[in-house]
Amino acid sequence: MASQNMDPAAASSTAALKGSETGGAAAKGSVSKRLQQELMTLMMSGDKGISAFPESDNLFKWIGTIDGAHGTVYEGLRYKLSLEFPSGYPYKAPRVKFITPCYHPNVDEHGNICLDILKEKWSALYDVRSILLSIQSLLGEPNNESPMNASAAELWENQEGRQHCVSISLPCCAVMQRVSIRFPTDL
Amino acid sequence: MATPVNAQNPSKTWELSLYELHRTPQEAIMDSTEIAVSPRSLHSELMCPICLDMLKNTMTTKECLHRFCSECIVTALRSGNKECPTCRKKLVSKRSLRPDPNFDALISKIYPSRDEYEAHQDRVLERLSRLHNKQALSSSIEEGLKMQALHRAQRVRKQQQESDNTTFSGGEDNCDARSHDSVPMHPALPPTEAGPSQNKRPRLSDESCPEMDRGSPTPPLSHHHDGPASEIELVFRPHPLLVNTQEYSQTRYVKTTANATVDHLSKYLALRIALEERQAKRQPERPAAGESAAGDEGGGAGGGGGASLQDVSEKQYTIYITTSGGQFSILNGSLTLELVNEKYWKVSKPLELYYAPTKDHQQHH
Repeated sequence: MASQNMDPAAASSTAALKGSETGGAAAKGSVSKRLQQELMTLMMSGDKGISAFPESDNLFKWIGTIDGAHGTVYEGLRYKLSLEFPSGYPYKAPRVKFITPCYHPNVDEHGNICLDILKEKWSALYDVRSILLSIQSLLGEPNNESPMNASAAELWENQEGRQHCVSISLPCCAVMQRVSIRFPTDL
Repeated sequence: MATPVNAQNPSKTWELSLYELHRTPQEAIMDSTEIAVSPRSLHSELMCPICLDMLKNTMTTKECLHRFCSECIVTALRSGNKECPTCRKKLVSKRSLRPDPNFDALISKIYPSRDEYEAHQDRVLERLSRLHNKQALSSSIEEGLKMQALHRAQRVRKQQQESDNTTFSGGEDNCDARSHDSVPMHPALPPTEAGPSQNKRPRLSDESCPEMDRGSPTPPLSHHHDGPASEIELVFRPHPLLVNTQEYSQTRYVKTTANATVDHLSKYLALRIALEERQAKRQPERPAAGESAAGDEGGGAGGGGGASLQDVSEKQYTIYITTSGGQFSILNGSLTLELVNEKYWKVSKPLELYYAPTKDHQQHH
């Protein structure tokens, strides 16, 4: 697991793309290649309600956004998440966390998400797009069997409580809205 | 298309839809009929879902028949879950896989020059990550202009060895615009905050002789891995309908990097024209075009019309391209020249563009 916890930010991805001298650099090169492929498809696909982009020059750390799905209590809200890719990606799942506080049965107070596909059900075929879509649907349909936030799970049992779940995280949403995310305007 | 039994569905029965029950099999093509299939539509079939690249040393799962690169699936099995990444069917070990040489043969038939394809992919990705860092690009263009001014004296010999990777090289019959150094520039920061695949300085060996590529239909692929972005040549004419030929009638030949945008080009043009106009004012007897560049590399150009150069903007000129119908259509400023080339031009001769002063461009500051 040591490799998973290593900070890929340490090495610049420019070097990674070029590097084929050492095995490690070659592996990192293939990871950034895959991440760039994902970025390209994500930008071309124009999915409504989800987006993601590398946070800065570091291709191994992305910021994603999810809009609450239509017909759910989260509709009209936008959530910001961080995605950190280990050097073993896509064989190892990225670490995904809510940056925007989210009061939800499967999200703890630090933003950690309890979702099987990010843990034991991870497959190398999942990508940023499928992760964000899964989290988007998790928002509207929590798994109340294994709650991380027990009080949220309790509230979720009735419609009124659900609405309350949302309003608890609302003030922070307003804060989030002020954080602008840079996207290229020409794609 | 028959839907395979869903892996999540435990039932063993294979239920056929009405369509599947009644459809007639597709006739095999026995005569010489040819069917064109675009490589793009084939892409998902030929792609490894793990690395998202084209399959390499294809391995097929014996039970569920999903394909992966040998390296990808072996790594996937080694790194944990002993199941098919596509459908989660149990994969005990490497022995649940078989090599698929037929599929490799199919790929090499479709892409005889795979290296070329991969180089192309790399270029596309590189361009993408460049977009991600536009600012670095435009500052590097300005730096390029400055460097060009510095090297202008030696240009005849060393034209292509400019030290930055985004440079406009002006054409032969342009007015020689000296004194770029009086042009307002951002401080010449080296673009160190570049995007993921922003390259380091180009190697001179890669760049020393791009003239060799001129006229050859295939791009110089080997240069693209760690060299600068590919270059685009373009012929630049005044808009025949909108521009009075007396004003600035010359055709300009420009060579620049493919990742420059239409806006960059427009600003470059505005700068050239401003400099030419200033020059013409100073030396009215001088012919407008075609003079020798080496003559009078004077330092006296500094003061004169500097104020007007402050105003140079990409809004001053609109860039047009002719479409198939002979119409002129306006190009969006944010398009890169490479995209313009791919989208509108397609043929392998230098891109031809037209320019005219922007109509509603009354003033700017």
